[in-house]
Amino acid sequence: MIAALRKVRTFAGGHSGWIGLVLLAAVILIVVLAPLFGLPDPVRNNLRGRFVPPSFNFLDLTRYPLGGDHLGRDLFSRIVYGGRVSLAIGALAVGLGGVIGVIVGLFAGFYKGWVDRVLMRLVDVQLSIPLMLLALLVVAALGPSLQNLIIVLALTSWVRYARVVRGQVLAVREREFVQSAYAIGVGNLRIIFVHILPNVLTPVLVIATLELARVIILEAGMSFLGLGVQPPWPSWGRMLAEGRNYMGTYPEVSVYPGLALFITALAVNLSGDWLRDRLDPKLR
Amino acid sequence: MVTTISKLAGAAPGSWRSLTVAAWLGASLAGALASSASAETLTIALSSTVNTLDPTQAQVVGTDVSVAAHLYSPLVARGPDGKLYGVLAESWQPEGDAAWLFNLKPGVTFPGGEPLDAEAVKWNIDRIRNPETKSRNRAWFDPVSEVEVVSPTQVRIKTKGPYPTLPDQLSMIFFLSPEWMKTHNPATEAYGTGPYTLKQFVAGDRLILAPNDKAVLEKPTFDEVSMRVVPEASARVAGILAGELDLAFDLPLEDVERIKKSGRADAGWVPSSRSMVVRMNTLKAPLAGNTKLRQALNYAVDKEGMVEALLGGLGTVSQCQIMTPAYFGFNKDLKPYPYDPAKAKQLLKEAGVTTPLKIDLEVPLNRYFMASEIGQIVAGQLQDVGVEATIKEMDFGAWVKTYAGRDMGQMALLGQAWPTLDADGMLSLYAAANPTAYFDDKPFDEALKAGRGTTDPAKRLEAYKTATARMCEEAPVIFLFAQPFTYGTSKKITWKARGGDWVRATDVVKK
Repeated sequence: MIAALRKVRTFAGGHSGWIGLVLLAAVILIVVLAPLFGLPDPVRNNLRGRFVPPSFNFLDLTRYPLGGDHLGRDLFSRIVYGGRVSLAIGALAVGLGGVIGVIVGLFAGFYKGWVDRVLMRLVDVQLSIPLMLLALLVVAALGPSLQNLIIVLALTSWVRYARVVRGQVLAVREREFVQSAYAIGVGNLRIIFVHILPNVLTPVLVIATLELARVIILEAGMSFLGLGVQPPWPSWGRMLAEGRNYMGTYPEVSVYPGLALFITALAVNLSGDWLRDRLDPKLR
Repeated sequence: MVTTISKLAGAAPGSWRSLTVAAWLGASLAGALASSASAETLTIALSSTVNTLDPTQAQVVGTDVSVAAHLYSPLVARGPDGKLYGVLAESWQPEGDAAWLFNLKPGVTFPGGEPLDAEAVKWNIDRIRNPETKSRNRAWFDPVSEVEVVSPTQVRIKTKGPYPTLPDQLSMIFFLSPEWMKTHNPATEAYGTGPYTLKQFVAGDRLILAPNDKAVLEKPTFDEVSMRVVPEASARVAGILAGELDLAFDLPLEDVERIKKSGRADAGWVPSSRSMVVRMNTLKAPLAGNTKLRQALNYAVDKEGMVEALLGGLGTVSQCQIMTPAYFGFNKDLKPYPYDPAKAKQLLKEAGVTTPLKIDLEVPLNRYFMASEIGQIVAGQLQDVGVEATIKEMDFGAWVKTYAGRDMGQMALLGQAWPTLDADGMLSLYAAANPTAYFDDKPFDEALKAGRGTTDPAKRLEAYKTATARMCEEAPVIFLFAQPFTYGTSKKITWKARGGDWVRATDVVKK
């Protein structure tokens, strides 16, 4: 089974990786350069423009290329600006989670003993709680806001880094250059951050890309449930939720943000796979 | 495919139950052919969950009180035409200014044979009045001084002063058996004289009723009434279209047309008695003591445009009062604040407000029709005159806690109705003594008091005219519109639509 999958991957592998990278670059470019396109205001209501049919004319962005939503806002503009929100939250959450996770992993792996046991039990506890449930509880308790959302998403993602980094550190700390640094009296913190850290960053990068896709989807779920981004600001999950009452009558209101979410998650995943294949010697 | 879509559509913000519903809908649609109900079963979708079966604790008309109306009997009930008719009561009349006399129908008994007579009526009302019962409806009986048994079929309710709306309030009071209550819990069990008996109650999911063969007051017309809790609007639409549900409410307006066109089911709307408003906390800065600011916000919102675009013209703009013309005490002389952003800006200046003014707008979800949309439009229009409203969407249950706990934010979107369709109940929501009034105005309270102090309809109208005019001018809310009440029915029934929230199997006629 796995072998068969591997075959498919090696056949399409080179290409799918590039497709992912190109898609991801395109998404990031569009989202980052959004203000330069002269898009209509994504939050300004225009009741006369409710459910305007799409013109698919992407050359004249004032003509509702993807149509208007239930409050007459330009759907394309909302998807682009919603992507800013979704991707920014994703990147910040992954970054924050990564920093916490890497530090925990470094200390657990380096000091071993009781530090390791305590930190790894913490990881186990975290892993035993369903992530969505944890996120819902925390946001419900603290109230929905952008900061809380980012903190919660980071909270759900640090454990993966911690586990992997700890494993790497256990191996690296026995290597000769670490031993010799220790022998000449280099301090523990310096060994950890200057000598070990650079050698464990490769898998961290791979995890980060895979986490990014997961966190973007989780954010969409939270926003869908009304616990994420507050209106009138769009995020993809929020747009899906807002469109669901019109699924039967105007499906495009939720279909297009769904497509954007799908394409981005796919692109990030493909890029992550590609990166892992390139960096992980065991898979080469 | 249908299953997938309804599953997607079924998940709702802030509610775990919706997941169950989605799963239920998916499963039941798959088995729709198999479970296609016989003509004698009536399946009703309730838009929110049934909290209790106990009629003394019931407060939400659309769910708890309606369920109680199937299981128990009231003295009087309100028909779809808005008029009261006797159920347990044969007739009733006021005796002077301080009492009401009710003549009861003889020979009514509970299933076990004990009589539902004047004695039982007194026991029930006294029980509600007793603070230890912690009945949510106790406040309605504050003006009542004594319940007197005249004969087994006559009961006199003495009041501390005139209480013109007592019969209206009694339409929401149902009678329990004193004997049965000694050993049973009415919150999860039922034992009444209503047209149906309880067959099954799964909290948060469904309620199944069977006919009560011993009912003499109102006869059952269906072999089974099944009430399902379907909080998600799109799931209710799917259920109606699939023939899975016979009666559902609060459907999105776009879907009303779609259902009609489909030919598979029917849908429609009636003007409701519920007025949507943006509550302003007039006890909190910056809205406290600043009438001009509150008026400015009223000028800033385009009610007409909202009804036109969002509701497809199906709502009616509030006439600067929270009552619709269906209410006793409606003031037809009042006109809505026109949409006039320039005037709003000028008033803001006069009010001494520095713009942009930052203000919070709380929007409770899953309770009011299109709440999220209305909230965003209001915020957008306030923005145009320099008031930056930050929207805070939250689950209705969580929001109500702060609202009832005298801790509402600066502004909140809210829909208000009073089931008796009388100014006394509706306007009392803004009497300073009410914990959820967020409004403290002497002239308004005086007018309300005057209205309550007499049973003469002309004098009462006069008093409520003063009260509504005062409320319009003081503007403790942004008056929006009366929302339309939408419903869908299957092909096999017709429903006598009413603007209120009552859900009664007796209003349903088999085709």
